[in-house]
Amino acid sequence: MPPTNPQNFSVSATTRRRFLQASAAAVSGIVLSNCARNLSGSNAPGTASPEQTSSSPSDSTLRIFTWANYTDDELLKNFKDKTGIQAIVETFDSNEAMLTKMQTGAGKAYSIVFPSDYKVEEMIKMGMLLPLDKSRLKGTENLMQNWQNPGYDPDNTHSIPAVWGTTGLIFDPEKVSSEVKGWDYVWDNVDQLNRRLSMINDVREVFGATLRYLGYSYNSTKASEIEAAYEKLLELKPAIATFLTNGWEDQLASGDLALSMAYSQDALNLIQESPNLKYIVPESGSSLWTDTMVIPKTAPNPDAAYEWINFMLEPENSARLVERLKISTPNQAAYEKLSSDLQQNENLFPSKAVLAKCEGIVPLPSEVTELYDRYWTQLTST
Amino acid sequence: MSLTTTPSGAEPTRARSGWHPAKLIQPFVLLAPAGIWLLLLLVFPTLLILELSLIPGFRLGQPAGAYGLGNYLEIFQPVYFQVVLRSLFFAVGSTLLCLLLGFPVAYWIAIKAPRRWRNLLLVSFILPLWTSSLLRAYAWITILRPSGLLNSLLGVFGLPGQDWLNRSPAVFIGMAYSFLPYMVLILYASLERLDRRLLEAAADLGATPQQSFWKITVPQTLPGIAAGGLLVFIASLGDFVVPELLGGASSMTVSRLIYNQFLGATRNWGFGSSLSMILILAVSIAIALLLKYGDRSSAQP
Amino acid sequence: MTSLPSPPRSKRSFSWQFVITLLMYSFMYIPILVLAFYSFNASRFSSTWGGFSLRWYSSLLNDSRILSALGDSLRVAICAVVISAVLGTMMAVGLAKYRFPGKGLYRGVSYLPLIIPDIAIAVATLVFLVSIGASLSLWTIIAAHIVFCLAYIAVVVSTRLTGLNPHLEEAALDLGATPFQAFLKVLLPELMPAIFSGCLLAFVLSMDDLLIASFTAGGGANTLPMEIFSRVRTGVKPDINALSVILILFSGFLAFLSEYIRFKSEQRRLRQ
Repeated sequence: MPPTNPQNFSVSATTRRRFLQASAAAVSGIVLSNCARNLSGSNAPGTASPEQTSSSPSDSTLRIFTWANYTDDELLKNFKDKTGIQAIVETFDSNEAMLTKMQTGAGKAYSIVFPSDYKVEEMIKMGMLLPLDKSRLKGTENLMQNWQNPGYDPDNTHSIPAVWGTTGLIFDPEKVSSEVKGWDYVWDNVDQLNRRLSMINDVREVFGATLRYLGYSYNSTKASEIEAAYEKLLELKPAIATFLTNGWEDQLASGDLALSMAYSQDALNLIQESPNLKYIVPESGSSLWTDTMVIPKTAPNPDAAYEWINFMLEPENSARLVERLKISTPNQAAYEKLSSDLQQNENLFPSKAVLAKCEGIVPLPSEVTELYDRYWTQLTST
Repeated sequence: MSLTTTPSGAEPTRARSGWHPAKLIQPFVLLAPAGIWLLLLLVFPTLLILELSLIPGFRLGQPAGAYGLGNYLEIFQPVYFQVVLRSLFFAVGSTLLCLLLGFPVAYWIAIKAPRRWRNLLLVSFILPLWTSSLLRAYAWITILRPSGLLNSLLGVFGLPGQDWLNRSPAVFIGMAYSFLPYMVLILYASLERLDRRLLEAAADLGATPQQSFWKITVPQTLPGIAAGGLLVFIASLGDFVVPELLGGASSMTVSRLIYNQFLGATRNWGFGSSLSMILILAVSIAIALLLKYGDRSSAQP
Repeated sequence: MTSLPSPPRSKRSFSWQFVITLLMYSFMYIPILVLAFYSFNASRFSSTWGGFSLRWYSSLLNDSRILSALGDSLRVAICAVVISAVLGTMMAVGLAKYRFPGKGLYRGVSYLPLIIPDIAIAVATLVFLVSIGASLSLWTIIAAHIVFCLAYIAVVVSTRLTGLNPHLEEAALDLGATPFQAFLKVLLPELMPAIFSGCLLAFVLSMDDLLIASFTAGGGANTLPMEIFSRVRTGVKPDINALSVILILFSGFLAFLSEYIRFKSEQRRLRQ
C-alpha cells in the first residue's frame, strides 16, 4: 500500500477535518449521555408500554419463555389441537437471565413467561406485568389453599402458579459413604467429594441453603450472616465441580458427580430414568419455590396467553403433565385425579413436616442484592 | 471530503487527476456504506461501553450514578485481578502449547511431506475447524470426564486415571484443540517460504540439523511464529465457550465474568463494561507489541 | 529443491516429526470420531453403549426446534454474508484505490472486528441496541454479524487486490469504458475467487457464532449455536451428536469445494 502523503492535504481540508472531528465529538457526546439515560430510566424497553401491534402475523402462535422440562411435545400438541394455537417454547436457566432478556427487549416476543415467586414480586414492582383479568380465567378456584393468596403476589393479581417444589440434594445412595440427610454430609466430606458436587447456578439458592445450614434465614439481609455464608461456601469450594442448574444429570447418572444440588422437579425427572438415585430435602431446611405463569406487558399475543393459562388450569391437563414430567402441581383438582402412588410420593408432594422447614425466597432491597451479587461473583471467580 | 485519488500503485496521469465530480463520488460510494456500518455498530457501541464502564455499579433499569473509576478499581480487587491473571495464564499457556504442538506439524507438511499432498494435508488438518466450536468443546466433555474415554484408555494401559474435567487442564486441552489449526496454517505459510538453499548451504558447511534449525529455520519463520502466537493469544484470551463448558466452578475467566455480568446472575453492566474495556486494552497491547517487534525483525537484513 | 540430499541424521528427525504430526492429526479427529461414535449409540447416556441405532438421526429430523434453529442460522448467515460481500468488496476496492485524509484510521477501524474479542463486541452491540431502543430480533443479529463478516471479506479481497495488475482497469478506462463498467467487467471477475472464499469464511464464522448472536437475539430468534449451547447446558441427548456428524460432513464438503476453487484460480493465475 502506498503510504498516505500528508502533503496531499490542502489547508482547507485540514481545518474542515478539524471542524468535522470537533462536531462529531460534540454530537456523539450528546447522544452518548442520552443513551445512558435511556438505559437507566424508565425508558428501558422492557418496561415500556406495549406497542399494540395488532397487525402481527402471530395470532396463531404463542411464544413461551420457561424453564427446561416444564413442557413437552405432547402438551404443546394437545394445546394446538384444542385451541389451534401453535405454542413455541424457549427456555432459560436462571431468573436473572430471564429478567435481563425481558428488560433488554429481547423477550418482546414472549406472551407467557414462567418467573419464580420472588421475581414475580420484582417484576410487578417494575411494572413489567399485565394485571390478569380474572373474568377471563377459568379454574383458579381449584388452586390449593396455599396458593389462593400467595405472599409474593397477593390474590394472584398478576400471576398464576404453575409448578412448585423444593430444592434439595440428589445422589446415588450406593456411592456415598454414609447416609445423607442434609448439608452436614457435604461439609463433613469436602475432601472426599473433591469436585464431585454440583450446585445450582443461582445466587439466592446457594447462599440460602448455606444460610439455613448456619441457622439463619434463607432470606438473610444481615451483612455479617451473608459474609459467614460466603466463608462457609469458600470451605466447600474444593468439593464443587461446577455450578449448573440443569445439565448435571448425565454426569450424576454416570457417577462422575457424587451429589448434585437440584430443584426437586429436575431431580424427579432424572429419578424416573435412573431409579437408583435418591432425592432429599436437607434437614436444615430448604426453599419452597413456586414458578408462575405471567403475561408481560409487551406480550404480542395476550389472548393466546389467556388460552394457555386456562389450558394449564384444567385439572385433566395438569394431572397428565404431573404424570409425564413429575412436576408438583398447585392445582387441588388435578392432585385429586392422580393415582395414590403419585399422591403419596414424598418427593412430589412433601409432607407438612418437611414443608414446615422450608421458606420461600423473597425479594431483597437492592443494596442487599448487590451484596449477594458481590459475594457470588467472588465465589464463582476464585 | 477533499480527496486525491490515485489508482493503486501507479502515479496518476495529469489528464485524469483533474477535477471531476465522479472522482469524489466514487470513493464516497465505495467507502461510505461500510464506514457508516462500522461507525454505527462498532465504534459507537465501543464508546458507549467506555462510558458505561465509567459509571460504577451501573445496572439496567436503575438510575445511573455519578461518573467515577469505581469499576476499574474493582478489577484490582484480589479476586478479580486473579481472574484477569488466570485469563492471561490460559491465553499464554495455550499459545505456547499450540506453538509447541503446531510447529512440528507445519514443518512436516511444509518441508517433509510430498509436494502434491501438501494442500490436501493442510486442508484435512484444518477441516475440524469447520464444525461447530461448541460441539467440539462438548466432545471433550465426553472424553475427559472421569468415566470417559481418556480414563478408559489409560486404564487399559494400567495408568492412573486423570480427573481433568472442570479444571485448568481441560481448558488448556480445549483451547489448544480449538486454535491449533490456525497456528498450523500460519506457520505453514511462513515455513513454505523458507529459503531451502540456506539449509543446504548450512548442511554443506557442516552444521548439524539442530544448529541449522535454531540458526536458520527459527529466525526465518519468526514473523510467522509471532503472527500465529498473537492470533492464538487473542482468540484464547477472548474465548468463552471452552472455559465455560470445560472449566467448571474454579476456572473463571474474563470473558465468562463479562457474560455473567450481562446475561448471567449478577447483572452489573458497569463492571462488565470495564472488564470488556480491559480485554480490548489487553488485545491492543499484544498487537502493539507485535507491531513493534515485527518492525524490529523486518529491519534486520 | 525437490530432492534434498538427506543425510542419515535427518532420517531420524523425519520420523519424530512424522510421529508428532500423526499424533496431532489424531488429536484433531478423535473428538469428532467420538461424537460420531456416540451418535449411533442406542443409549441416551454416553457412559453406556446400548447397541447400534439410528434413532438419534430420526429424532433429529423430527426435532422442530433444531430445524427451526438451523433455519434461523442459515437466514442470518446468508443475509449477513450477501450484504457483507457487497459492502466488504466495495470497502476493499475503495481502500486500495484512493487516498484520503483519515484513511489510516478507516483502515484501522476496518480491522477492529478481527481483533476485538467476540464477547466485547457482543456486549457493546447489546448496550448500543438497547440504548437506542431497537427491538431485538433476527435482524439485529444480522446487523451485528455484518460487522465482522464485512471485515473478513474485506481482508481476503484486499490480499487479492494487492496482487492484481493495476493497469488492466486503466486500460479499460482508456478504451472508453465508464468507471462502473470497468469495475464490473475487469475488476470484479478478477476478484471473484477472493470474494467467494471471503464469503465462505464469513459464512462459517457466522454459522458458528454463539456470543454475538445470544447477546443480540430477540423476538424468538434462536440460532443453531444458541440452541446447542442451551442443550449442552440443560442436558444433551445424542441427537446433538447426530447433528454434528451431519454438520461436519457438510462443512467438509464446503471446505474441499473452497480449496478446489482456490486451486483452480491459482492455476489460472499461474497460466496468465
